[in-house]
Amino acid sequence: MIDLYNILRDNWLLLLVGQYPNGPMGGIVCTLVLSVLGIALAFPLSVLLALARLSPWRVLRWPTTGLIYVVRGVPLLMVILWVYFLVPLLIGRNVSGFTTMLCTLVLYEGAYLSEVVRAGIQALPRGQLEAARALGNSYLGAMWSVILPQALYNMLPSLLSQFVSAIKETTLGYVINVQELTFAANQINNQLLTKPFHVFFILAVTYYVVCYSLTQLAQWLERRVMRKRQGQLGTAPAPLPPVAAAAET
Amino acid sequence: MICFNEINKWYGSYHALIDINAEVKKGEVVVVCGPSGSGKSTLIRTVNRLEEIKSGQLLFDGSDIHAPMTSMALNRLRSRIGFVFQSFNLFPHLSVLENIMMSPMRVRGVNRSDAKAKAQQLLDRVGLSNKAGAYPAQLSGGQQQRVAIARALAMEPPAMLFDEPTSALDPEMVGEVLSVMRSLANDGMTMMCVTHEMNFAREVADQIWFMDAGRILETATPKEFFGNPQHPRAKRFLSDLRAH
Amino acid sequence: MKNFDLMAILLNAEFGAMLLKGVRMTLQIAAGSWLLAMTLALVLLIVRLMPSRIAERAVGAYVSYHRNVPTLVQLMLWYFGISSLLPDALQGWLSEHNGEALFAIVALGLCQAAYFSEDLRSGLRSIPDGQTEAARALGHSYLSAMRYVILPQAVRNAVPALVNHSVSLFKNSSLAMAIGVAELTHAVKEIESQSFRTFEAYLVATLVYLGFSLLIMSAGAWLSKRYSIAGAR
Repeated sequence: MIDLYNILRDNWLLLLVGQYPNGPMGGIVCTLVLSVLGIALAFPLSVLLALARLSPWRVLRWPTTGLIYVVRGVPLLMVILWVYFLVPLLIGRNVSGFTTMLCTLVLYEGAYLSEVVRAGIQALPRGQLEAARALGNSYLGAMWSVILPQALYNMLPSLLSQFVSAIKETTLGYVINVQELTFAANQINNQLLTKPFHVFFILAVTYYVVCYSLTQLAQWLERRVMRKRQGQLGTAPAPLPPVAAAAET
Repeated sequence: MICFNEINKWYGSYHALIDINAEVKKGEVVVVCGPSGSGKSTLIRTVNRLEEIKSGQLLFDGSDIHAPMTSMALNRLRSRIGFVFQSFNLFPHLSVLENIMMSPMRVRGVNRSDAKAKAQQLLDRVGLSNKAGAYPAQLSGGQQQRVAIARALAMEPPAMLFDEPTSALDPEMVGEVLSVMRSLANDGMTMMCVTHEMNFAREVADQIWFMDAGRILETATPKEFFGNPQHPRAKRFLSDLRAH
Repeated sequence: MKNFDLMAILLNAEFGAMLLKGVRMTLQIAAGSWLLAMTLALVLLIVRLMPSRIAERAVGAYVSYHRNVPTLVQLMLWYFGISSLLPDALQGWLSEHNGEALFAIVALGLCQAAYFSEDLRSGLRSIPDGQTEAARALGHSYLSAMRYVILPQAVRNAVPALVNHSVSLFKNSSLAMAIGVAELTHAVKEIESQSFRTFEAYLVATLVYLGFSLLIMSAGAWLSKRYSIAGAR
């Protein structure tokens, strides 16, 4: 136990912010920044993908469905390798590990989130879209002002649980030397060498605390959303994909 | 065959069964009726101990059902009491024939071919000979309930309990189930039925127990009950029934 | 992309062999951890059914840990952390006998067991109470009712979720690369560094992963159809 305390006391700054200011921002701050940016950017992409999948035009539906199936059928590590290889080619210069990881997260989470968005849209009663169209809105107009706002509110718990997944996915940045929390822990381990169990135990507990708290928040949110939906619909609403059914790494 | 002695049951502070004293004799058909919430289902479920009692003694064929006993002993007792549920509760992953065969095989140790033959026989008896290979989800409600009766009969129980067997059925299917029950009664089976089917009660029952608010208010033969009910609550119940 | 030449990889004896070895290792890890995960999930389910609050809490804690800690971190904790706690003789034996693969199987298996057990639990909870009542009314003991009535239905109900998590398990085998296991992703990186044919190497690995994912999902669909409760919703 003393060892755990000592390791924490000596290395907490490294775990928190990595080698900043003597290097890029790292540690848990990097993890969280990566996850927040990843989800924030993936979200609009996922809405577009979901709309494309639900659209009546085959030319949009098929490639989108194909893309989503490919991204979901391949390990995250492979997606990272692909992005690491293709992005420099596409934009003509080298990119940092952080940027690569961010792009990967946006793509990967975009694909998974689009399924969540799609389920959220489909869970709304059909009458909503019909009413909006009957009032004279175009398909896209109805989506924008009627369907999406409701679907997105209902999806908040699932969004939060995807955020938790993103946090877990950032750990793979370690493989391409992104200076996030897992990388920092490995640095500490390589310095200390004699206490690997303690170091990785601290790492595991840190992730556990962060992810568990966020998951509890997501479940609380889900209860609130369910209550509001029950009020909206007046009857038992269609079940959303369960909060924990996100991509896991 | 089934003796209720001073049976009392509480759900928390709610007194669900109050001082029940009654007897179903061997070969008798007893119909329990009354308004909803009167405790009829609770009463019948105490017979095979799907519900516990707080005080009193319940004897089935001489054995005290609610005495402390090993679960093996309780299982053995239960296997001698046939029970038909309002919602049939057939096993959806087994075919009709397997539903009927499974318990004699697994609980009684009957061998497969004997169990199968008996099951087919029972299917013939309830009028579903050609449905042996079908699955419950492919049958209508009335057919499912008949299979449920066959499944209960497969254990060769000396008595059968029916908990509102036709209440979950569409009206046109009620008749097929009642006719199976009628033929069982004619063959001398001891039966206790909770039901709203008053015509069935009139034709088949030997005794009618009228329950309300946890008590048996009146026991009478069908002739007495329908012709000249004694208890004012029973009178009101019957007139409500006749009103529609 | 100049000189796209898939055959340069596939036909080259050395690279072909590396790929095959990688695929074989991936399959071994996936199969090993799947068996471990399934077995443990059934044990966890049985433990959960015991009428003990400690059992319920223990399984809950197990599931919570494995779902909230990233899989890569779990892998590292096992391979770097727990291995250092083992007696030296055992550590020596492990490093000679492909210890990395073993740790990968253990870590991945234990992790997926948590997900599988939750799937089985959901399958169990979706069974109406009337089923247990009917089985008990016929005279079945608790175990007999479980074995012949409840569990067959629970497993059937759980199949879609189990298949999804099996695909995840298969994909997670790639994480073993981080502790030095020579599975497919590792092999592909090796080929890339030796031949610079990045695109072709990655393409092969992607197709293999996609292929197996599709295979698992089709197997699941077939299983689902074959054992589905006929006519059920």
